[in-house]
Amino acid sequence: MKRIELTINGDLYRRDVHEHRTLLHVLREEIGLTGTKEGCGAGECGACTVIMDGLPLNSCLVLAVEADGAEIETVEGESKDGELSGVQQAFDRHHAVQCGFCTPGMLMTIKDLLRRKPKPSRAEVIEGIEGNFCRCTGYEQIIEAVLDATGQLEEKGEIKHA
Amino acid sequence: MTHEFRYHAPGSLAEALELLERHAGDAVVLSGGTDLLVNIRSGLSKPSHVIDIKQIPELKTLNYDGKNGLTIGACVTVNEILSYEPVAESYAVLQAAGAELATYQLRNRATAVGNIVTASPCGDMSSPLLCLDAEVVIVSRNNTRRVSLREFITGVKTTVLAPNELVREILVPPTYAGAEAGYKKLKRIKGHDLGVIAVALVKHGGLFRVGISSAAPTPLLLPEFAVGTPPEEVQDAAAAAISPIDDVRCTKEYRAFMVGVYIERLMSEVGA
Repeated sequence: MKRIELTINGDLYRRDVHEHRTLLHVLREEIGLTGTKEGCGAGECGACTVIMDGLPLNSCLVLAVEADGAEIETVEGESKDGELSGVQQAFDRHHAVQCGFCTPGMLMTIKDLLRRKPKPSRAEVIEGIEGNFCRCTGYEQIIEAVLDATGQLEEKGEIKHA
Repeated sequence: MTHEFRYHAPGSLAEALELLERHAGDAVVLSGGTDLLVNIRSGLSKPSHVIDIKQIPELKTLNYDGKNGLTIGACVTVNEILSYEPVAESYAVLQAAGAELATYQLRNRATAVGNIVTASPCGDMSSPLLCLDAEVVIVSRNNTRRVSLREFITGVKTTVLAPNELVREILVPPTYAGAEAGYKKLKRIKGHDLGVIAVALVKHGGLFRVGISSAAPTPLLLPEFAVGTPPEEVQDAAAAAISPIDDVRCTKEYRAFMVGVYIERLMSEVGA
């Protein structure tokens, strides 16, 4: 066992963890933040995407002990005071959630994408979410939601928000 | 992860090599973990000791100068390589191939050194680095040696690395800096996927070289050709060099055919 410290969505957590446990499992099972999902467990599907020290990565391929001292952002940090983030609201408007399993990872990938490219083109959104599988194949709605959240649908007159 | 192990995070290379010497054969080196942790999870790898080398400052070296070329330390991630200006300016083939390696999330962890140490026939960094005459610096507690990448990878997922050794860095000589180049990877889908086959081409000083992945037990480098060589000649040389297999991704015939197609397309695009 090793004692680790994680700052998750601004809150500090200290835990004694087994050295072979992944960050994903510690987030879900030791800390109780079950928003982050386990899909393939092998870095293919992106359901476990979190942002660690500013970089999105697959938390199934990070040992919890490797993350000692890191700042982690997970989907639980997206809504503030009961209000969904702008991207979450756009997901809602565009029905970009069907089963919802890919959504937490998708949202973290998109959060990072928008930090790097505040107004991504459609092609950049498609490329940006290449590491996140949606097996309901709701990609079109997800892409529309990102374009809407960044004001690009309204600009084109394709949509009007009250 | 069900297999249990001891985790070490040494702060110096000397300490890491000491640990590796002490536990040789029962220890693995961890950097990005994008292959290793998958292998531990699936039971393919059952080390008692995992030595994380990311706390070792010198392994994060990423440097270019006109005299020595490009140095890529063991812990440099693929995304760090892609955002390093000298690579974008001078090593177009690494830029093109790096962007094809897995996904953005994976590239934030995966390293170029890890990619060649894994020595998969389809490793995206291998055939471009072969075209660039890359060398590998290998260290152990008592020794440092330099091996050409061509000799480093010996078979499917095998290398010349001894159990007490690790790769400190990849050296890319300045010879091909600024060379026009291209990398084409055939995949089953438009998104990220392991390559069905991939071809790298680097043109330099009236000559060009071709690297091929996923068409033999190891990535291959063909002998040099003069610019203007008919594509058929290059395709024939490739056909003689490769030994593709049938697998879940496609048949060996399709692999062989597409190696020829990609050679011709790259020659035309790069102007070889």
